Amino acid sequence: MSTRLPGPERRLLILKESQHLFAEKGFHGVSIDEIARAVNVSPAILYRHFDSKQALYDAVLAELSSQRESYVEAVINSGANFEEVLVSMTEVFIHSIDENPNLLRIEMQSLLNGNPATSEFFENRWKSFTDYINFSLNELLAYDIDDREIKILTASLMFQGMVREALLQKYLQPQDRLIDVSLNELSRELVTLFVRAVGIDRPRPAETV
Amino acid sequence: MSDYDSELDASGLNCPLPILRAKKALAALEANQTLKIIATDPGSVKDFEAFCKQTGNELLSSGEEGGKFVFMIKKS
Repeated sequence: MSTRLPGPERRLLILKESQHLFAEKGFHGVSIDEIARAVNVSPAILYRHFDSKQALYDAVLAELSSQRESYVEAVINSGANFEEVLVSMTEVFIHSIDENPNLLRIEMQSLLNGNPATSEFFENRWKSFTDYINFSLNELLAYDIDDREIKILTASLMFQGMVREALLQKYLQPQDRLIDVSLNELSRELVTLFVRAVGIDRPRPAETV
Repeated sequence: MSDYDSELDASGLNCPLPILRAKKALAALEANQTLKIIATDPGSVKDFEAFCKQTGNELLSSGEEGGKFVFMIKKS
């Protein structure tokens, strides 16, 4: 059966189907024939849109690594408190992965393959967090603490690592031990621990022993 | 006399930091005063539109100058 689609729509369909296949099997695990079958076209038609498998993979990477989330609503609705804003931002980010876990899979692949798209994933997706954490900690941390700069840098790394690991566990592990944890619970708990670890949480009432 | 009352340079910063800093800068202004914001994040164009729509502040202009995005916002 052959379906006739206008060029731009067919191109989008090729990108969509190949994104799933590449995310699941990696660049080397997928053949042009397999992609052509998934889109229901001949390999010749596929080559009309993309010169090679590499060109198609690069297009998939470019599309995903340039996806940006908007945090405007999150910050407008969450007051000015560092912890609240970070929770809202984390929720937005985690929901974007929940909607399309291929974002995470393809980012991990590009990282392992040393693909230049890795820096695009950082620029467009993670930098919102590192910028926000760097800037806020610069304002919030006392100026006289030791190793201030390295502390701020490691805090950003720690946050990125923590969120990424939680997402890997939640979306890429076959036996999901976080299956019963909601995205919002996860966001809040991670941020609470983070804020405590960097030492800027609000004073808490003394715990009873 | 400049046509704005305060200026914020958010160059190099990704969303939401330009928005958060603009929110803070606007809080320090009186009603009808104008804030000029410079940003480099391409997403900031849509973000400041959404920000003004939601906060009721007026986006007087939004444009590009020498590869940077410049916004004028009048505090409501």
